[in-house]
Amino acid sequence: MSGRTLWTGFLVALAGLALLPFGVGGYVLGLMTLAYYYGVFAMAWDLLFGFAGEVNFGPSFLTGLGAYAAGLLNHYAGWPIPACVAAGAAAAVVGGVALAVPALRLSGPYFGLITLVAVLLLQNALVLNAGFTGGEIGLDLPDVLSADESTNYWIALAFMGLSGAILFGLSRSAVGLILQASGQDAVEASALGYNVTKHKLAAFCISALFSGLAGAMLVFYLGTASVGTVVDIAVGVQVIIAAVLGGRRTILGAAIGAIFLIVAGELLRPLGQLSTFVVSAFALAVILFFPGGFLGILSSRGGAR
Amino acid sequence: MSALLEVSGLTKRFGGLVAVKDIGFSIAAGEILGLIGPNGSGKSTVMKLIMGIERPNAGSVRIDGVDVAGWPTHRIARQGVGLVFQHSRPLHRQTVLENITLALLPDSLFRLAAGSHVAARAREIAARVGLEGVMHRRPSTLPFADLRRLELAKAVARNPKVVLVDEPFAGLTAGEVASFSELIASFRAEGHAVLLVDHNVKSVAALVDRVLAMYLGEYVAEGSAEEVMRNETVRRVYLGGKIELAARPEPTDTGRPPLLDVAGASVLYGKAQALEDVSLHVREGEFVSVVGLNGAGKTTLFNAISGLVPHAGEIRFAGESLRGRSAAQIARGGIVQCPESRELFGGMSVQDNLELGGQHQPAPVRERQLAWLYELFPILKARARQASRTLSGGEQQMLAIARALMMQPRLLILDEPTLGLAPVILEQLSKAMELLRQTTDITVLLGEQNVTFALPHADRVYVLEHARIVWEGTPTRFEAEMGTGYL
Amino acid sequence: MLTLQILIDGFAISSLYALGAVGFTLIFGVCGVLNLSHGAIMVAAAVAAWVFAGTYGAGPVGGALGGVVVGLVVAYVTYGLIVRPIQRSRLIPHEEKEIFVLTSTLLWGIMIQEAIAYFFTSNPKTVPPVIPGVINIAGVRTPTNELLTAVVSLGAIGLLWVLVNGTRRGRALLAAAINPRGLTLLGFELDRIYLLVWTIYGLLTGIAGVLLGAFLGVSSDNVGTLTASAFSIVVLGGLGSVSGSLVAAFVVGYLETCTAYLVSPTIRTVPVLLLLVAVVYVRPQGLLGRR
Repeated sequence: MSGRTLWTGFLVALAGLALLPFGVGGYVLGLMTLAYYYGVFAMAWDLLFGFAGEVNFGPSFLTGLGAYAAGLLNHYAGWPIPACVAAGAAAAVVGGVALAVPALRLSGPYFGLITLVAVLLLQNALVLNAGFTGGEIGLDLPDVLSADESTNYWIALAFMGLSGAILFGLSRSAVGLILQASGQDAVEASALGYNVTKHKLAAFCISALFSGLAGAMLVFYLGTASVGTVVDIAVGVQVIIAAVLGGRRTILGAAIGAIFLIVAGELLRPLGQLSTFVVSAFALAVILFFPGGFLGILSSRGGAR
Repeated sequence: MSALLEVSGLTKRFGGLVAVKDIGFSIAAGEILGLIGPNGSGKSTVMKLIMGIERPNAGSVRIDGVDVAGWPTHRIARQGVGLVFQHSRPLHRQTVLENITLALLPDSLFRLAAGSHVAARAREIAARVGLEGVMHRRPSTLPFADLRRLELAKAVARNPKVVLVDEPFAGLTAGEVASFSELIASFRAEGHAVLLVDHNVKSVAALVDRVLAMYLGEYVAEGSAEEVMRNETVRRVYLGGKIELAARPEPTDTGRPPLLDVAGASVLYGKAQALEDVSLHVREGEFVSVVGLNGAGKTTLFNAISGLVPHAGEIRFAGESLRGRSAAQIARGGIVQCPESRELFGGMSVQDNLELGGQHQPAPVRERQLAWLYELFPILKARARQASRTLSGGEQQMLAIARALMMQPRLLILDEPTLGLAPVILEQLSKAMELLRQTTDITVLLGEQNVTFALPHADRVYVLEHARIVWEGTPTRFEAEMGTGYL
Repeated sequence: MLTLQILIDGFAISSLYALGAVGFTLIFGVCGVLNLSHGAIMVAAAVAAWVFAGTYGAGPVGGALGGVVVGLVVAYVTYGLIVRPIQRSRLIPHEEKEIFVLTSTLLWGIMIQEAIAYFFTSNPKTVPPVIPGVINIAGVRTPTNELLTAVVSLGAIGLLWVLVNGTRRGRALLAAAINPRGLTLLGFELDRIYLLVWTIYGLLTGIAGVLLGAFLGVSSDNVGTLTASAFSIVVLGGLGSVSGSLVAAFVVGYLETCTAYLVSPTIRTVPVLLLLVAVVYVRPQGLLGRR
């Protein structure tokens, strides 16, 4: 699919979604708000996987760092929200660099495990210091983004739109091309004169930056930071599935996948506990039969390559 | 005129193996040096050492006076070295034009847009190498020659002082070779220093100013193409001096259908024709050699026979078509391949490797085969308990052949058994082959680029070139008609 | 007394970990598959044993056998419906098969987990032990079942060892792990070897699941943790190295038991995670891995 078609579709979709608060109730808005933050998690993951070629099994390590750094500073130091969000993003970038160091030395499953262990360690640290972090119950935040559902919705939509535009634009830029080359064939890329280490490190930082930002924004929307919403392995799994489901290497597909997962989970709520089963089965079927994901299906229908 | 590339004392060891030993040469601006040597001679390693893909253990590599030995690859590239890989390595999800654009960008994190001059330059380069018609296609839809053009285009785009080209003509047709030669010659005209790495003097003779020959990691000869071709050592490495022919009684069953009958076999790898309408036959008890350079299609032919790659055309064995049979079925049916890559079970002992080969036979047969093979290759008996990965190259080759023989093949396919072996090992292997030929009625199909090894044992010879059979005849006629082509 | 207690408990836990991890590493070594539905298969086997033994009145032995069979069946389904189609798919580029196998087996594990939670709730279940009762070992009262767990686990691993090192089939299996192409050239059907490996895997994992269910109890919520600990042990020991996994299982088992008894049960898994990070940074090929 050509870049222009995608950009157009992206802008039209954003415009359409911006009108949603005029038509639906608070519950649906709340759901979509959550979905948009997950959309950013998934897009950030796709930049790392699809372009730099690094499979991060613990995206929730980065989102969790962002969320808790912001939350703790707000709770204990009383920093204002923008400062907390910035600090959260910075903490996530530091975490991203910590992940990048082994990633550049290790390959495949070993790096995957490190990222998984990172999540488990963070989770343990948070739960074991429950007195300080709120543990499993969560950490209450004195400040929230807004008490109004529509405002929260628009903030989240604007944040996802902006993040999507930046990440997608980056993936299609000259730097994105070099990053793709580094991910696909590091030897070739360095023979062409590119410092693969530098470009991959940058990808880690950018991915971490957006994960951290989204994590921090999310806790200020929810008014509480809890392990279950931003750190748990299940959150990371959801992010990975969203990105693969939406279409690897498309950035925008990742957001579509994330929104789909949350909306589908909600629509299937009458099934009770079976809803997760059905969503997983559907995602599995898409992955097995349409490995290109949602955007892959769309682009093959359109015939354009 | 000062040298743009100056290499001296270059040495590389992999574990105990010395892959490159004290190699030195220099290339001036506007000069093309051919670096030749048979497979495993270390010439590709030299190229990787210059590019920094491997780090040298000793020696210096000067680019326009700056020693870059030990630098990371991307800095060496920025210093002015470009590499045209033997195997095309395009970005598969990007278009041809994007692939060329990639080679034109600065190594910066902040350059988001490439700029219009870059786009214009990319188009210009595409036109220069003959890719203007396919700029917006993806590499996977391109024919083989265009993929090679894309590699050249990237080198042109990088505009390096020193261009390294790995096997520029492998797999190309005569017409394509001519247009590639022109492109490479244009590098010289523009004042670049060019290093051409190839197997044979002949294929690069018309293009190069000088040739340096390597064998087993060491310097053998240097000079003009003619001088190197006349060099005693070079001739011995490639031709083994005089070709000795040992006659074997003519097979008498010429009336019967051949044991193996390949009719019009073709193989496509993507768009690349790896094998084109190849027909050949092997009679019961015959020893047939298929001679061809690297990339001519020998391995593809054998893999088609063994059922490892899908193919068009008909392959019959003992009168029955092999279509629809799995590779394992074909192997159990009597066609046993001993591949170029040997495919040993490295961590397992020599005896274990052999016994796995005999697993489909009843125990007494297996034991008899094993005893016979230990007699044929005494060194394997001495090493029976040793892990096969610890064997020398020659011993590994013997083990691979012995393991194939454990299966009691009706047809043994040997793919490049001499690959990377020292002459003394070659002689041992040759003796074993001769013994095999004299004492058993085994049927053998041998693929070789080493004519010295391929001819003495053969009853008949086929020559494979650019995926096609171009010649067929007896070894005696081969020397007269084809011999000079294999230097 | 405490020392002996730690020795006994650690031994039983470690043996069980070893059994769980050996199958995981086998399937990676021979087939190149990291099966992230591993924990789900263990839990499925345990819950099946609980259902057969309780609801259907098959008794502890019948339940255990039924559980192992279910483990085997789920392993076959994993292979036939998910792993094999991906490996043969023409739509998925070769270099991306790994991430597809990982994502798909992960989803499959979630499906199994949710199905179990839906039909049998996510409450912890304890499989009735085959041999009930308690034995007194030098003053430490130990459930007989705990000893049985260790004996069966190590026995199953022993059998695997005999199979791989002592039989021709086993040698072929080992050869497939080293060089599948070489094995094809010798006339072996890889498909059959892979089916054999998945059979062994299903049996080992099924047994591990049933033993776990009887020893510590399981819940569908354990699925992720079980997969993660098998993964950790296998990486710690060196991917694809069976002996490495054994050593790593004992290191992990004893480290956890010591932490639980001597420090606090709440941080049971933390030292293991730290050790894992250290090993992966310092010696990425694992304790006994070669690469």
